[in-house]
Amino acid sequence: MIEARELTKRYGDTVAVDGVDFSVQKGEVVGFLGPNAAGKTTTMRMLTGFIPPTNGTATIADYDIFENPLEARRRIGYLPETPPLYPEMTVSSYLAFIARIKDIPRRARREHIDRAVERCGLTSVRRRVIGTLSKGFRQRVGLAQAIVHEPPVLILDEPTVGLDPLQIHEIRSLIRDLAAPGKGDTQQTVILSTHILAEVEAICRRVILINQGRKVVDAPIEDLTRNGQSLEELFVRETASDAVAKREASDGGAREATP
Amino acid sequence: MKHVANIAGRELRSLFVSPVAYGVLSLFSVLAGTFFILNVAWFNDMLIRMQQFQAFDQLARMNLNDQLIGEFYGSMSVVLLFLIPGITMGLFASEKSNGTDELLLTSPLTAWDIVLGKLLGGGLFVAILVGIVGLFPGLLFFYGDPELGRTLTGLLGLLLVGWVYVAIGAFASSVTRSQIIAFLISLVMLLVVLLLPAVADLGVATGAPWIGEFFRYLSANAHFEQLMHGLVETGDLAYFAVMIVTFALLTKASVESSRWR
Ligand SMILES: Nc1ncnc2c1ncn2[C@@H]1O[C@H](COP(=O)(O)OP(=O)(O)O)[C@@H](O)[C@H]1O
Ligand SMILES: [Mg+2]
Repeated sequence: MIEARELTKRYGDTVAVDGVDFSVQKGEVVGFLGPNAAGKTTTMRMLTGFIPPTNGTATIADYDIFENPLEARRRIGYLPETPPLYPEMTVSSYLAFIARIKDIPRRARREHIDRAVERCGLTSVRRRVIGTLSKGFRQRVGLAQAIVHEPPVLILDEPTVGLDPLQIHEIRSLIRDLAAPGKGDTQQTVILSTHILAEVEAICRRVILINQGRKVVDAPIEDLTRNGQSLEELFVRETASDAVAKREASDGGAREATP
Repeated sequence: MKHVANIAGRELRSLFVSPVAYGVLSLFSVLAGTFFILNVAWFNDMLIRMQQFQAFDQLARMNLNDQLIGEFYGSMSVVLLFLIPGITMGLFASEKSNGTDELLLTSPLTAWDIVLGKLLGGGLFVAILVGIVGLFPGLLFFYGDPELGRTLTGLLGLLLVGWVYVAIGAFASSVTRSQIIAFLISLVMLLVVLLLPAVADLGVATGAPWIGEFFRYLSANAHFEQLMHGLVETGDLAYFAVMIVTFALLTKASVESSRWR
């Protein structure tokens, strides 16, 4: 469902994302893991078409983000790092606007909105003005915005950041439901970024670890933890500065030549 | 471009749930009423004086359209010049500071959907303001006999001037994420447009008449006056169209380039 090919983003001299390749199959829930400033947000912004890659490209459900941007975007639900909310709107008028701009046919809008409201636990605050909601509720409105058109691909940038443990638990079980839905619901492919290891272990089957813009690990969690090491040990080992130096010494020579 | 109405509708709804819209509408109505009363008083005063001095040929040239409605529309165009930057400053800048630009630009919308939707939203709000202006000359039809045609073409002129201001303000809002900076940029640009005739006169003085003509063409006022005189000519209408389209294109380029930063 998601193919990233050699995705690269440079900001002047800094390389935020450096030749990242991966592919995500239908129904997978992939944890996009990395320390702060690793390039997670930048990668997601390229996948969703918010910023163009300096190099490389990606396809969403076989639609290239350059050649068929509208078709690709129609198939994505995206929760940015800060939920994109209009504070002066009510939850229901906000979702009605989202339903329109996401091309949900007029007749199906009500039903889609009702389902998103219910799934995200927003029933009690439907008529409330978004600006008056707590952070937890605002995050859920952000999530409702991402799923209302029931897109085949969900891209969630740190979906549980700043929530309390109960809210985190609820959001995580919602994400699990989206990928393994009951009868009649569309199965969704999810890629979510986080720097919380427990989050990955709780909801993802597979991890992509990036550090300083490069993909360093891409494997199912059970393979990574088979020999008894914990994700935390792996994370520390792969992102510690001497690991980076070692990798650059061995395979980074060619890349270093073209900064 | 099927989403233009969705973007415009959301813009207007957001405007009307905030106190800002009502503040602007009340302030504008009060200003319109004040200017209208001042203009009526001045007009009466002139009539009385001309009668006192028995200046009958001048008296014969006084009419409601030129000396009252036209002056009133002129004053209101200056009020719009200061008010519209306040209306348009948030069009794009607030999306950027809210983070909702990330929503719009990752939804299946084209840049034209967004730009035209914003222009339509701002344009409709200004149309309401111009509608308020139109109520006042309406009163004169009960007490006098102004020409309906010129009263309406003048109002059309005011609307078109307002829309040019909206297009300029929208562009200013698209180049920054700060509403205050957007306000200042558009105010400066509008003042430049207002002062172009003075620049044009300078151009004439320096002996390059075509520069003068060019600046005079770029200023909204000359075209607005034609409409106030009841002259609806394609050249003047084309001016408004050219200005609006130019700034719409610039705004679209700016919205698209924000992806490329
Ligand atoms: N607009 C930008 N301009 C310049 N540098 C940027 C910009 N956005 C991100 N970066 C840089 O790119 C790197 C990756 O950032 P980001 O993708 O936000 O990381 P993460 O989401 O993993 O924390 C950081 O070093 C950040 O400073
Ligand atoms: Mg981030």
